[in-house]
Amino acid sequence: MILRLLSAALAAGFLAAVVATGLQLALTSPLILEAEKYEQREPSRAAQALPPTLPIVLAHAGHDHAAPDAAPEWQPAPGFQRMAFTGLATLVGGVGYALMLGAVLIACGREPTLQTGLAFALAGFASVSLAPSLGLPPELPGQEAAPLLARQAWWVMTAAATAMGLYLIGVRRSFIAILGGLVLIAGPHIAGAPPPPDSTSEVPAALAAQFAARSLAIGAVFWAMIGLGFGWAWQNVGPARRRHA
Amino acid sequence: MTTTTQSSSFAPVATRANERLMAAALAAFLGLGLVFMAGFSPAIALHNAAHDFRHAQNFPCH
Repeated sequence: MILRLLSAALAAGFLAAVVATGLQLALTSPLILEAEKYEQREPSRAAQALPPTLPIVLAHAGHDHAAPDAAPEWQPAPGFQRMAFTGLATLVGGVGYALMLGAVLIACGREPTLQTGLAFALAGFASVSLAPSLGLPPELPGQEAAPLLARQAWWVMTAAATAMGLYLIGVRRSFIAILGGLVLIAGPHIAGAPPPPDSTSEVPAALAAQFAARSLAIGAVFWAMIGLGFGWAWQNVGPARRRHA
Repeated sequence: MTTTTQSSSFAPVATRANERLMAAALAAFLGLGLVFMAGFSPAIALHNAAHDFRHAQNFPCH
């Protein structure tokens, strides 16, 4: 059982990562690169905009607080290396999501097939992509946002509450469970996501809107592939094959 | 004798349910670890490596 689950998740994560990496490189990465031009331009423009009567602020503008002789932070080289690491991260994330999808299917006592895989994957998409994006829309580099930890906490809480809510509504299905599920799904949005600071961003709104829409579309395809891939792999790959032979 | 019959018919079911939950727990733990590493890890190198994936999949990034 464990081996079959692990191998199905590996296969599903790989399939989904291949498709999602292609989509990301074609649709979202160019927008990220475009937005980074504004992100890099922003500090210097801000520094220029500051009135000359504030020399202390001006001296710090446009620099991070690292020691001047500190080693630069590692980052993938532009071009192929950056694309390769995006693919690798997508693979790690895809296998991770596939493992969680498989765990939920097995724990709920559902036989993983194309249908159950897809149905549970859509719930996964709703939990980790759709619901968090209502409060924290997919953002480009350079866009103003609330502190990272507060956003991460709200993201995790919303994803967990939505997943639990969908479980209560879709699997438990009693009146009380459905009521509790609706409360869990609505709760994080009633409480509200951490609000962004009141400042304008240099990133054009059209670019940000296009990125948000593409990001959600890619998320939907990513999850659909994870679900279909997991259902298919559970039936056809690894230990299952030997068992049916 | 009755006890033996019972244990032989119930034990596989219990073992299967146990195995099922063990597999689910292990997969959930591993999956959470991988998703954390790709989407949330504060280590600068991991953040930079997974940067474009984090933005595209709507993980809070910066």
